[in-house]
Amino acid sequence: MESRGDNGRRGFVFQVTNEINGIGLGLRYDLATELLERRPKGVSWVEIHPENYLGRGGRYAEILDLAREDWPVVTHGLSTCFGALEPLDEDYANDLRGLLNDLEVPWHSEHLCIGAVNTHFFHDLLPLPFTDEAVATSAQRICEMRDALDVPIALENVSYYAPQAANGLDEADFVLEVLERADAKLLLDVNNIYVNARNFGFDPEAYIDKIPIDRVVQIHVAGHLVRDDGIRIDTHGEPVPNDVYRLLEYALRKVGPVPVLLERDNNVPALEELLAEIDQLWSIYEGATGEKRAS
Amino acid sequence: MLADRLRAMQHVCFDLEPSEADLTALGSRERWLVYRDLVRSRLINVIGVALARTKRVAGDQAFQRAIDEWLATGGPKTRYFRHLPRELFEFALPSWRDQDPVWLSDLARYEIAKWDVRYAPPNRVATSEFAFDRIPVLNPALQVLRLSYPVHREPTPASGYEEEPNIICVYRDKHHNPIPWKLNPLAASLVEAWTGAAKSVTETVHEVAAVHGTEIGPAFVEKLSAMIADALERGIVLGGRADSQ
Repeated sequence: MESRGDNGRRGFVFQVTNEINGIGLGLRYDLATELLERRPKGVSWVEIHPENYLGRGGRYAEILDLAREDWPVVTHGLSTCFGALEPLDEDYANDLRGLLNDLEVPWHSEHLCIGAVNTHFFHDLLPLPFTDEAVATSAQRICEMRDALDVPIALENVSYYAPQAANGLDEADFVLEVLERADAKLLLDVNNIYVNARNFGFDPEAYIDKIPIDRVVQIHVAGHLVRDDGIRIDTHGEPVPNDVYRLLEYALRKVGPVPVLLERDNNVPALEELLAEIDQLWSIYEGATGEKRAS
Repeated sequence: MLADRLRAMQHVCFDLEPSEADLTALGSRERWLVYRDLVRSRLINVIGVALARTKRVAGDQAFQRAIDEWLATGGPKTRYFRHLPRELFEFALPSWRDQDPVWLSDLARYEIAKWDVRYAPPNRVATSEFAFDRIPVLNPALQVLRLSYPVHREPTPASGYEEEPNIICVYRDKHHNPIPWKLNPLAASLVEAWTGAAKSVTETVHEVAAVHGTEIGPAFVEKLSAMIADALERGIVLGGRADSQ
């Protein structure tokens, strides 16, 4: 039996704690000037990587200040990935907490993967093995970050290009196990699921069917690169392909009107092209959830 | 063990050459070489952007060798993507000092200063107007460089730079761009004394003038006033504050 919460989501009662809803766009330097001049109505909120703004003045600080005049902001970390064995960097966590407080974010998200080893940073997202040890490590780090930052923590399922399931869980079960053990939220990246499904031959809808919808607070959608050798790489540098749009619609029909972010970090096109993608996302969002964009 | 796997990832991504043992431990040789390329290309790209002139002058091979050797120390220590070029610079500067042309290290110092000030922390807040009896508040996005070659002059002459000592203050202007400002030795000392100063302008002027053996007379005051007016106009001096808080 379905119920509806105050925010209209099906299947459970869940309170999204601020006005972040509908379709958002990653606030990236390459498109910021035009975005801030035009302030298109199709963009309901923006997402930033806090590492790009912490302790940084100049144009970046100006961009964030200008964006906050019109849009709520959520934060998506890059450098505190949950598969970390070294202690949490408390100085950094304090700085991050200050920024999150200032921005009044409803949650902070980070990747379920490896970003550093022994305080050496990859500046990329490397896959965790889908093992019990990795579940325990990640769950512990999520709890530590929730305590340090004092906001709900959402983990993002990542793309990966090398097999990780040997002698372990499958990917969806791995993600679910971490979510349950850490009592965490989920930033559901449908492009990553699609990329992994195509790279490793599983059914992406079956993956989404396993997701506990009450944990999903945000969705990411993006494009990816298909290399000559057939491997799909999560570049955030291509338009969103139709298969990913279809998977997004499938996910939205399951989880309800969760805010959706269009990620475009590389090969950034003219804003007009991104706004056309955002229009497409709104059409899918409205059709799948019954929610309408603000006029 | 997860720790063993992480160490193997680190070696595969950052060693000069990935070992077959590490690739085997991770389980999929070709795919982990894809990761090595992905990780390294992002790092190499941002460094090439930040130090574009240095790379051109050093030569692609020598520049790439410096990056490879830096990464082989274990990988970047900074979590901030914008700080990667500074980390490479600090590693490579000793070798660039010994490399031709002789002005290569000056060029690298100048380029990294421009990169640093562009992304430096936000400006401090001046609580009052600039005044000689107050502590000066300076733009934190500045670096004073003592260069032996005028590498701030662009484009680079076809014959390279002739030796010509310069003191350059690289600062972030109101449009967020890094700008070189040429200083004489006394003015450079003043800017350095005012950076993070806990003393009033008058006190620091007397101290710096004494160090330089300069008499504070009408000509000095006139030049000092012009320099301060220029610094205020450029947004290098932001104002003042009354106490050391």
